[in-house]
Amino acid sequence: MPIYAPTLPPAPDLRHGHPPAVVLMRFDLTRLWRQKIGRFFGFAFLAMLLWKIARIYVDHLLNTNQAFKPMQDFAKTILTQGAAFQADLLNPASYLLWFLVALVGGGLVARDTLYRVRPLMYAHPVAPRDYLLAKLGFASALPFAILLPFAILPWLMSLLLAGLNGPVWATAPLRLLPAMALSSVLMGSLAVGASSMASTPRAGIGWVLGLVLGAGTLASMIHHLTGFRGIDALNPVLLAEAWPQLLVGVDHPLVAWVPALVGTAAHIGLWTFVAAKRTKPSEAVI
Amino acid sequence: MIAFENLEVRYPATPVSALKGLSLRLERGIVGLLGPNGSGKSTLLKALLGLLTPSRGSGTVLGVPLGGAEAARLRARIGYMPEYDALIEDASAYEQVAFWGELSGLAPEAARDRAHEVLYFVGLDEARYRPVSGYSTGMRQRVKLAQALVHSPELIFLDEPTNGLDPDGRRRMLDLVLRVHAELGTGVILASHLLGDVERVADQLVILDQGQIKAAGSMAGLRKALARRVELRFLDPLDAAQEAALAELGAVLEARNGLYDLELTEADPTATFRWAQAQGATLVQVTPRHDRLDEVLLRALHPGPAADGGN
Repeated sequence: MPIYAPTLPPAPDLRHGHPPAVVLMRFDLTRLWRQKIGRFFGFAFLAMLLWKIARIYVDHLLNTNQAFKPMQDFAKTILTQGAAFQADLLNPASYLLWFLVALVGGGLVARDTLYRVRPLMYAHPVAPRDYLLAKLGFASALPFAILLPFAILPWLMSLLLAGLNGPVWATAPLRLLPAMALSSVLMGSLAVGASSMASTPRAGIGWVLGLVLGAGTLASMIHHLTGFRGIDALNPVLLAEAWPQLLVGVDHPLVAWVPALVGTAAHIGLWTFVAAKRTKPSEAVI
Repeated sequence: MIAFENLEVRYPATPVSALKGLSLRLERGIVGLLGPNGSGKSTLLKALLGLLTPSRGSGTVLGVPLGGAEAARLRARIGYMPEYDALIEDASAYEQVAFWGELSGLAPEAARDRAHEVLYFVGLDEARYRPVSGYSTGMRQRVKLAQALVHSPELIFLDEPTNGLDPDGRRRMLDLVLRVHAELGTGVILASHLLGDVERVADQLVILDQGQIKAAGSMAGLRKALARRVELRFLDPLDAAQEAALAELGAVLEARNGLYDLELTEADPTATFRWAQAQGATLVQVTPRHDRLDEVLLRALHPGPAADGGN
């Protein structure tokens, strides 16, 4: 027989809590932390980041030490410089990042559907827009947070080593941060929309990967059948890659400005709409 | 605590109203909500939680108008324990009760402290640190009750709280429900199909069927109003004509050695004396039969004499 407390004291004031969207995002972060899938991705992203920084340091050495002149001539043939180099700071992480977004984002809404906690959330002072905002915010903040060191650390390293004449432009973050934001929201909205259509986290991962790869394949097929280049903006992977290039002033070989704008807006709009429809209270039968 | 007038709720996709003009006033206490599947219990709970806007009529819950802009604020004053397993399987009871507390408006630190208190109150001691995926059904039900209580609601809705529990688990859960009302002063709406549970804890009863209230009131009053079963004892056995005339009073359920079990047409036992006087029979004893709650429920759902088949 358990020993019960004599009674339950009244709860503290309910007016000092955080907004529901913040509470939901923090809880999702706790869940992600517990899943331990960050180890592999953490190692992979860290290795990429170190490689980027090392390249800048090597570049600095080649430029400042005449003993390395032959090496410098050789390096110039293999190392990209200028605008393309700025955009390339973000690109190598692209596929790995999509995979991480699929693994984490695929379960964001689907896990709540599986455990049937969404109706209970709506029985609390949580509006459907709070829920959607929290999920979109978390799914977009994750890739943004991973990309952030790729944009900032090489830039800092370049400034420290070579000042304004370094390989990374002094204004690079001003161009890369908006590109990162667009790509991250694109990834986040697609992941949340796909996850809302799944009833289990695994199915959610499948939905995200299926939509990303399926849209790319479809765009490629239509492009090759009709010769219409603009259709490549259907491919979310290309869109995420295109924004850093477009914003630093490099033409993307497949996606131009207007298709990139239309494609990104269409993806974000469509998947946000799907997620909103699938998570509204009428779907959440008590 | 709750009052509504001519309340009608209609789902957009269906032509039929899920709730048809309900009018009711419930005082603070433990209210049993009874009715068969599809009777409108869940719809009523959703409307009271502010998740459904009434298509007609009006009402208030804890003084807040139904379907108004203040519905979200109202939900901070209500606790809800769903029928189904709405538990976050990969989190411990402590983590998720703290999470629900924060969602209700508690500051993070206050929610964590409160989670310990409320889990202790429902009898989950050291087990509160384990993931709920390893919990028994009884423990899972108590976690659900804890999340409904974490923010000290003025009113809680319990949907089938004893589902899947063994007799001891049921008793402990019902004890907790009684303590919630007695010690915390929280109003309780208990929806259940287990009549024994409602009978044990509720002081008011609402019987719903096909979106309509079939009966409502205090348990004692309702029993009294619906108690039409009586046993009549006559000094001498009735003759055949008198036995046939008994049908004027109601349905004769059983006759044995001068004792007659009757289902009266009207809930007025004094009519039996007037009938005996008119028939020239000597009625020496009228014994009201105390109806069980299932008989009350069946009679409310299927009005008419001998609806329960004379059980």
